[in-house]
Amino acid sequence: MSDPRPGKRFTFEAGSAGDAHRRDDREALFTPADPAPGERYSLEAVHHPLEEPTETPVDSALDRALAHPRKRHRGLLTVLLGTLIVGGVQAFETLSNAWLGGDLLAGAWSVLGLGVITLAASALGRELLKLRRLRRHARLRERVEARLDDDSLDGRKMHALCDRLRQQMGLSDRDPHWQDFKKAHQQHHDATETRALFAHYVLAPRDARARALITRMSGETAMLVAISPLTITDMGLMAWRNLRMIDRLADLYGLELGYASRLTLFRTVLANMAFAGASEIATEASMDLLSMNLAGKLSSRAGQGLASGLLTARLGIRALKMLRPLPFEDERAPKISDLRRQLWQQMKRVDEGKRDTP
Amino acid sequence: MPLSLPGYAGDWLERGLDRQLRLAVTGLSRAGKTAFLTSLVNQLRHAGLDARLELMGCVREGRLLGAMRQSQPDLSVPRFPYDEALASLEGTPPGWPSPTRGISELRLSIRYKSRAGSRHLFGEQRSLTLDLIDYPGEWLLDLPMLQLDYWQWCEQMAGQLRGRRRSYAEDFLRHAERLDPAADADEQQLADISARYADSLASARNEGGYTWVQPGRFLLPGELDGAPVLQFFPLPAIAEHSRTALDALPASSNYQTLARRFEHYKRTVITPFYRQYFRRFDRQIVLVDVLSALNAGPDVFDDLRQAIATLMQSFDYGNRSLLSRLFQPRIDRLAIAATKADHVTPEQHANLLSLVEALMAEPLRDLRYANIPVRALSLAAIRATSARQVEHHGERHAALKGTTLDGEEVLMFPGEVPSRLPDADFWQRQGFDFTAFRPAPQAAGEALPHIRMDSALDWLLGDKLR
Repeated sequence: MSDPRPGKRFTFEAGSAGDAHRRDDREALFTPADPAPGERYSLEAVHHPLEEPTETPVDSALDRALAHPRKRHRGLLTVLLGTLIVGGVQAFETLSNAWLGGDLLAGAWSVLGLGVITLAASALGRELLKLRRLRRHARLRERVEARLDDDSLDGRKMHALCDRLRQQMGLSDRDPHWQDFKKAHQQHHDATETRALFAHYVLAPRDARARALITRMSGETAMLVAISPLTITDMGLMAWRNLRMIDRLADLYGLELGYASRLTLFRTVLANMAFAGASEIATEASMDLLSMNLAGKLSSRAGQGLASGLLTARLGIRALKMLRPLPFEDERAPKISDLRRQLWQQMKRVDEGKRDTP
Repeated sequence: MPLSLPGYAGDWLERGLDRQLRLAVTGLSRAGKTAFLTSLVNQLRHAGLDARLELMGCVREGRLLGAMRQSQPDLSVPRFPYDEALASLEGTPPGWPSPTRGISELRLSIRYKSRAGSRHLFGEQRSLTLDLIDYPGEWLLDLPMLQLDYWQWCEQMAGQLRGRRRSYAEDFLRHAERLDPAADADEQQLADISARYADSLASARNEGGYTWVQPGRFLLPGELDGAPVLQFFPLPAIAEHSRTALDALPASSNYQTLARRFEHYKRTVITPFYRQYFRRFDRQIVLVDVLSALNAGPDVFDDLRQAIATLMQSFDYGNRSLLSRLFQPRIDRLAIAATKADHVTPEQHANLLSLVEALMAEPLRDLRYANIPVRALSLAAIRATSARQVEHHGERHAALKGTTLDGEEVLMFPGEVPSRLPDADFWQRQGFDFTAFRPAPQAAGEALPHIRMDSALDWLLGDKLR
């Protein structure tokens, strides 16, 4: 046992030796680098404020999601674009040769090829455009978020920012909600107040609709998953309804989603699909295992449906938080618990309706 | 407070259900208390109609139905002269409400639609009773005197009579210094010196712009004019005497007579005022007129800072519970407002705000310790100017358009507000000169224009209007 036992005493020599040792250490540590104690500099000497290490800018999750594929896909995109251009030139050359040579079949083929290339290029262009719009949206949103603590942002600048958000959302200047906001905004309102007004007059109506949409679509998903007997249909339903919901939410805020933003949400969709499939299998197995009666089977199916609905609702809320031009203020953010109650009531209503009409 | 039993029980029930609030509108004289109260009643009366209250959550949601003046609980106190104040604002030329000369009360019943889940049980419509009182700001400064005895008070006052302020009290000092504390009291002499003291207070207040003038009743004596209770003054040379020697003096001596009157003043004038009106508040708004203090100079500014810091100790702060609501109300939410924000251009509001926060730094630390939520705002209860932009040498400058107190219509940039207290150097170089404006002409029956009244109301009442 190497630990000192209680009451064990050490000799003074041992202690003093240690002290001496420590003092040596300290001297060794401090003598070479430090300036002489009490050194003074003249006030005229050049001096700067203490430099603080600049923080590396932290990207948001969305920005990372956007930036990452771009790096990886740059080569791919170049190849793709190059192929398209070279292919287009080649097709054009073939076409002109065919025209000059009178080879009608080859000409028709090349026209077709040219059409395909145009289609592909326009699809690619659209996708890139959407991506750029989404990135601009994300950047603007981040700026709003970051500059809220900034003192230099006064009401007027915030109003200008809100105006840009409006354009981004695709609202015209004559939009009634925007008009309400403009009427409510006064010169002396500061940034926070302007933001609150914008959130109330322009965003709140859309939030309410988005919330209703999420409830409705998650309710539908819940019903469909509860009714469908097959694992594969469950998964398919989940994918279809979820993607559809994301698109419609994006539509509500005037955004079109590109592949990258979809990708981040799509991961959740995949997880939801996996859940729907797995739970279906588990329900089947347990029903067989426990040899449930019809009522039991029905209720376990309803449970599975409800869970799927809840997952859809959660995805909806995530998408909503991502798509909203301004982040939610703390207490206003929609919560899964609100939606859960609504979802449950919706399912109960359907259940009662079924009983009323046998 | 004389109250009938059913009325008292009703009040108690309302308090228990948290449907009654007493709002303390605190401010030294000329800070804008009367204007604030007038505007408050006016905005709530016009809520949901033509009042601009977009920053008030329940108005934005369309849930505030309006407000009604109710008969006040204490019938022996005058009613707040709302109609008179409004009449002077709507008159030609429009004028600010006349300064308050006595206490008045106001009870407002605010009706709103509830958003809470229990609305099926209690019905959708609810009402909140708001009790407000108006009083001369001069009297408010007496409250800190309750914690002092005569000797301490003399010491404090003697410390105050320094620098520029001393020049206003020369006459009083000449006479007071000749008074022997040990000599037998001569009624006539004491009355004479008291009058000089009152004059010195009045000129320090009116000419010098100083806010910390004690005792406040000397400026607005009301029915106490000429009574011996108002015939005392601080002995400026108190430090030359030892306290024990003075305490041992016979009762007929000057010192003992003055000390007796001081105690009597505390007991019969300040204590009832404090007990009746200042003990039972739930919410508070402190109005500070920073611009006038900046105009008056550094020592007035410092004087204002000290006055407010001392004053804030007279209120009870703490979180509320059902029991404390019923038996020992405490202020659980506070707003600090830099008033007359309409006298500077909008982009200066942020500076105004940080300046008022700097001014209140000491009380704010105490409040933070007591865990009381505080919000600072720049506010104009009744907006007298409109913000403009002027083209000057091809550039746009912020400006205000309004009418000065002399009736001259101006378009001007009133000046920059410093974001913190400027150093002594600056005061000597230039100083400040913010123009005072008179209210803008107002059509009868329309809501008063304002700056951030809605924000203040939302902060003070919003959580009770859910």
